[in-house]
Amino acid sequence: MDMNVLIAVMVILPIASALFLNLLHKKDRTIKIIAIITAIVLPIIPLLTPYGSHFFGGYVPLAQDPSLAQGLPALITGSQLFQFHLGIMYVFSSAKQLMIFILGLITFFAIFTFINESKRPSGVYAFLMFMGTASVSAILLSDDIFNLFVFFEIAALAQVGIVIASGIKNNYETALKYILLGNIAGPLLLLGIVMLLGITGNVNVTDMIFTLKNGYVNPQSPELLIALALIVFGWLYASGLPPFHTIKSAVYSKALPHGSALLQAFSVFTMVAIGIIIIRLFSYNPFTNIAIIGISLIAMILGITMAIVQTDYKRILGYLAVGELGYIGIGLGLGTAFGITAGLFQAVNEAVITAFLFIGFGTILYKTRISDTRKLGGMMYVNPKVALLVLLAGLAMAGVPPLNAFQSKLMLIQASIQSGLPELGIIMILLSIVTFMTFMKAFYTIYMRPKPKELEVLDNTIPRSTVISLVVFLIVCLTLGLFPEIATNSLQTLAAGLV
Amino acid sequence: MSFYDVILNKIRKIQEKAGEDEPVTNVTASTMLTAELTLIASVLIAVVMVRLIHPVLMIIMVAAILIIVFTAMPIMPRLRREQNDDLNNMMFYVVVALGVIVALFYWGNLNV
Amino acid sequence: MVIDSQLMSFFTAGSLIVIGIFAALFLDNLIKKIIGLAFLGDGVNLFIITMGYKPGGIVYIFLPDMTISNFAQTAAYPLPFALVLTNIVIGASTLAVILGLVMVLNKRHGSLSAAKILRDKGE
Repeated sequence: MDMNVLIAVMVILPIASALFLNLLHKKDRTIKIIAIITAIVLPIIPLLTPYGSHFFGGYVPLAQDPSLAQGLPALITGSQLFQFHLGIMYVFSSAKQLMIFILGLITFFAIFTFINESKRPSGVYAFLMFMGTASVSAILLSDDIFNLFVFFEIAALAQVGIVIASGIKNNYETALKYILLGNIAGPLLLLGIVMLLGITGNVNVTDMIFTLKNGYVNPQSPELLIALALIVFGWLYASGLPPFHTIKSAVYSKALPHGSALLQAFSVFTMVAIGIIIIRLFSYNPFTNIAIIGISLIAMILGITMAIVQTDYKRILGYLAVGELGYIGIGLGLGTAFGITAGLFQAVNEAVITAFLFIGFGTILYKTRISDTRKLGGMMYVNPKVALLVLLAGLAMAGVPPLNAFQSKLMLIQASIQSGLPELGIIMILLSIVTFMTFMKAFYTIYMRPKPKELEVLDNTIPRSTVISLVVFLIVCLTLGLFPEIATNSLQTLAAGLV
Repeated sequence: MSFYDVILNKIRKIQEKAGEDEPVTNVTASTMLTAELTLIASVLIAVVMVRLIHPVLMIIMVAAILIIVFTAMPIMPRLRREQNDDLNNMMFYVVVALGVIVALFYWGNLNV
Repeated sequence: MVIDSQLMSFFTAGSLIVIGIFAALFLDNLIKKIIGLAFLGDGVNLFIITMGYKPGGIVYIFLPDMTISNFAQTAAYPLPFALVLTNIVIGASTLAVILGLVMVLNKRHGSLSAAKILRDKGE
C-alpha cells in the first residue's frame, strides 16, 4: 500500500495558503512574506515527492487491502467491485512531476513579480493565483473525472477572478463573457462525465478503462460517443481552442502581465490533463485522434492568422498562445508514443515561453500604461536589457535553436512525418515562420521604430524582480533547449503508457 | 492599377460595408495580406491530407477550395469580423460548434 | 396509461437543457440569459438524479437489521446523488459571481441588454 501524503499537499498547500492570505487583510508585510514562502515551496514539493498514488480517506481498492474485504459477501468479493477504486485517487508520475514543477515555477515568478510591482499586495489577487494553481495541479493529478470537473470549475472561477482583479478597462465585460460561456461548457462537460458514469458505473478513469477494455460495455454505443463529444467540448473551453479562442485571448489581454502569464499556464496544463484523459479513454476509436488533429489545426490557423491582424500587443500574445496550443494538440492527436512525447514537451516549453513573453512585454505596460502598438515606439532606448530578453523570448517561441521550442517543434515535425502526415509538418513550419513574423512586427513597432511624440514614458524603474524572472525563464529555455532529455525522459513513460 | 492597389481597395470596400472608420494604412493592408496568404496556404496544405481517404476526392476538394478562395478574396477581413468579442456572436459559434462536434463524433465513429 | 417516471424525467431534463441553451442564445436581457443558464445546469442535475433512480430501491443507509447482501442488492447507487450535491454548490457559487458582475455592469451602463453591454468594443 503506497500512501503518499505529499501528493495531496501539492493541492492542499496552495489552497490553505490562499485562504489564509485572504484573512490577513491590509497586513501587507505579512502577506508578502507568506505568499513568497508558499510560492517558493510550490515548485519544490513535486521534486521531493516520490512517485505513487494517494487515496483520499484511505480507501484503497479492496484487492489491495484484504483486511477491508473480510466478512463481505461473495456478491462483492467475487465481482469486479473487488478491483475498483472506492475513493478519489491522485496519481503522481515523472511526467506530472515535471509539469507541476513548471506550473509551480511560473506561479512563483507570477507571485514574485506581482508582490514587487504592486505597492499594496493585500486583497484577493494572490488568493486567486494560488487557488488557480491548486486547481490546475489537482486537474493534473486526479484520476477521478468528477474531481477533475470540480477543479475545472474552481479554475474557471479563479481565472475570472484574476481578470476582475486586474482593473484594466472593460475587464468586467470580458470576465462576464468568459463565465457565461463557461456556464454552457461546464454543465455539458458534466453531462458527458455522468453519461460515462451511467455507462460504466464509475468515475475513476482507470476503472472506466478497465470496463471498456474488458467488454463490460459496448465501446460503440451511442451514449458513449455522445459522452465523448461532450467531454471534448468541455476540453475546448478549458484550453481555449476554437470556438473559445476569441474569449480566451480576450481574457489574457484583460489580465495584468503576471496574471496572463499564469492564466496561459493554466490553459496549457488543463489542456494536457484533459487531453490525456480523452486519449486514455477513447484512443480505441480512430476518430478521436482525427478530431483532435482537426481541432488543433483550426486552432493553429485561426489563432496565428488572427494574431497577425491585431494591434494590441497583449491580444497578439493571447492569440499566439492559443495558436501554439495547436502544436500540443497535434502531438497528442498523432497518437504515437513519440508524437505524444513531443506534444507534452511542447506544452512544457510553451508554458514557460509564453509566461516569459507576457512578463517581458508587461514591462511596457509598467512603463507606459499603454498596450496599443500603434501608440508605442522607441522603447529600446528606455531599457535595452529587457528588450534583448523579450527578443530572445520571441526567438524561443518561433523555435530558433538552441532554445527549447526548437527541440519540441523538431520532434513534432519528425513525429508527423513518421505517422505519414508530412503535411502537418509543413503547416507547422509555415506557421512558425508566421509566428516569428508576427512577433517581430510587434517587437519592431514597440522597441525599434522612432518614439512617437505623444508617448510619455513614466520614470518608474522596472523592478529588479521582473528582470530576475525573465533571466530565470531564459535559463529554463536554454537548459531545456540544450538538454531536452531532461524533459523528454520523464515525459516518455506517460506517453508510452497511452499508446 | 497595381495588384497592391486592388487589394487595398478591396479591404477598404469591405470595411466601408461594415461601417468601420479605421483608416486603411500600409501596415493594415500588408498584415491583412500576410494573414490572407497564411490562411490560404495552410488550408490548402491541410486539404492535401484528404488523400488518405481518397486521392480523387482530394483533387476535387483542392480545386473547389481554389475556386472558392479566388472568388471570395479577401477572406481575412471578413473572418476577422466574424471572430469579434461580441457575446451573442461568440455564443452563436459556441452552440454551432457544440452541434457540429456532437454530430461529427456520432456520425464519425460509426462510419470511420 | 402508465407513464414511466424515469423516462419522463429524462425527457424533462432534456427539455430543460434545450430551453436553457435556447435562452442563452436568443434572449437579449442578461437576467433572462442567466435564468436560461440556470435551467441548463438544473437540467443536467435532473439528468444525474434520474440516472441514479433505481425502481424499488432503498435509501443507501445501512441499518443494523439489514444483511449485507440484501442491502447490496436493493440500495440505490449513492454516487449520482453525491455528484448532484456538489454540482448544486458549484452552480450556486458561479451564479453568485455572474449576478455580482451583472450588478456592477448594470450600474455602469444603466442597461441589462447583452447586445449593448457585451458587444465588441473594438480592442
